[in-house]
Amino acid sequence: MDSRVFNQGEKLNIAEPLQRAIEEFSKFPGIGRKTAQRLSLFLLKTNEDSFNNFINSMVDLKKKLTFCSRCYNISEDELCEICRSPKREKTTICVVEEASDIIAIERTNEYMGMYHVLGGVLSPLSGMTHDRLKIKELLTRLKDENIEEIILALNPDTEGDATTLYLLNLLKPLGIRVTRIARGLPIGGDLEFADEATIGRALTGRIQL
Amino acid sequence: MILNSLLLNNFRLYKDAKIDFSPSINYLIGGNGQGKTSLLEAIYFMCTTKNFKAASDTELLRFTSDFYSVEGFFSNITDDNVKIYYSNADNKRIYSLNNKSVTRTSDIIGRFPIVLLTPQDHAITQGTPADRRKFFDSVISQAGSRYLMNLMEYAKILKNRSALLGTISFSQRTDLMEELDAWNEKLVLVGSEIIIARKNFVREFMPFFSDAFKSVTGRNDAAGISYTYLGNGISDEIADSRIQDKFHELLKIRRNEELKREVNLVGPHRDEFIFTLNSSPLRIFGSQGEHKTFQVALRFGQYFFLKDKLNRTPVILLDDVFGELEAKKASAISEHLNELGQTFVTMTDFSNVSLLDKSKDNLFINIQNGTATYA
Repeated sequence: MDSRVFNQGEKLNIAEPLQRAIEEFSKFPGIGRKTAQRLSLFLLKTNEDSFNNFINSMVDLKKKLTFCSRCYNISEDELCEICRSPKREKTTICVVEEASDIIAIERTNEYMGMYHVLGGVLSPLSGMTHDRLKIKELLTRLKDENIEEIILALNPDTEGDATTLYLLNLLKPLGIRVTRIARGLPIGGDLEFADEATIGRALTGRIQL
Repeated sequence: MILNSLLLNNFRLYKDAKIDFSPSINYLIGGNGQGKTSLLEAIYFMCTTKNFKAASDTELLRFTSDFYSVEGFFSNITDDNVKIYYSNADNKRIYSLNNKSVTRTSDIIGRFPIVLLTPQDHAITQGTPADRRKFFDSVISQAGSRYLMNLMEYAKILKNRSALLGTISFSQRTDLMEELDAWNEKLVLVGSEIIIARKNFVREFMPFFSDAFKSVTGRNDAAGISYTYLGNGISDEIADSRIQDKFHELLKIRRNEELKREVNLVGPHRDEFIFTLNSSPLRIFGSQGEHKTFQVALRFGQYFFLKDKLNRTPVILLDDVFGELEAKKASAISEHLNELGQTFVTMTDFSNVSLLDKSKDNLFINIQNGTATYA
């Protein structure tokens, strides 16, 4: 077969604006070239109204959103909805890595306290030291607010664990109750399908009934 | 566990070969570069998903081929077949177990226990402390997956910690010391688990090793293995409950030195295993022959340990080991092999074939330029 028919080089015969849209979409996490192409063509075919809705929501995302000045959650105003809400328990702070973790915890409807987003974890290997996390800000809150308990809810990996240990050393002398979320088996999961590390940790962290 | 037959396609010299094996000893005989070791390589590859020669896939690929495959038929607790398929176009290996593709290689590892003796084993007793740790780590990992996970996490902690030591000593920032404390705690938590696992292993392994050593030498010499950790001597053991404290203590003592050199100086990555023969250290006083016997006994100890731990009989691979041993020892080992499980032994055609055990069950396979014929 003549290889010139199937041009695999950089010059594709696609209209330039479409090509640019595809390029932009493929920068998204989890989006490959083919999906980017589908999304672009979908937008092209969609009617004027829904297209504008989409574009406006994207513009608002960047224009209207900022970070909460107290807990660094994603927010529309100076303070996020959680920090403003009178219904929340003001004496407990749950410390998380990223704002996306708040969304995960909020979906449970189990937690009624406040949050604090660190913006990452300690990782000397990638240059993340304590001063690049919102730790000073957390300590200031402890002075200004009347906090009784800090819940550390960082990811259970090497860097998350080191950060938890760091915060623990920092917070313990302040006389505040510090707890860490439990680690163990997923609900509705089969014990036999869990990996050895999870089962091992669930056994180590067993609780008396 | 028995490997009944092996199918090779475009693997090393083998274009298209099907070889049936004996459940006892299989002698693979041929000149240099004819493909004896490639057969051991293929068997080890299937059982561990790793290549013991650390060869790349393109090296394994037969000249001008675009794929290779290795497939083995085992009698294990059930009849199992394992296949590794590699295509050059996708540059990807596909592992399958009983005709179903496997995504986690840990589904295969540990299921097909195997013990390999190669001339490279000289490093275990004559090489660096790192070579010895590598031997012990691989045996302990074969018997349980928690240890391997701890080792991988420990390696990650070491990398982060040395990066931090570097940052502190470069920037002279004292505010980072508390961060170092946190990494120390993590290092101690995971490192202590590794130390305790190694302590327990040496204790459990000793009887298997002693028996193997007696069988290989036929004498009553006292062969010992001592594990030294956290800077303690051979004889003063630290109780498990004291290990974390001792670890922290040493980190405190050596902090300045660590900062100066920007290196992790305390922990199981600096442990040493010391081999002794009648109480004198093998590394200093051992003759070439004594080293060799020790290496063989360690491998047979591994065999008996795994057999006991996993309740499956490991397959034994001997790569060119007889060539280096004195005739007397070689025939002693050859006799022992009959009592063990399935064994594969490579020999050059000019080695002393007369000292081999020629009982009926044993198979002699001539290997020449990637083809196998039965003698």
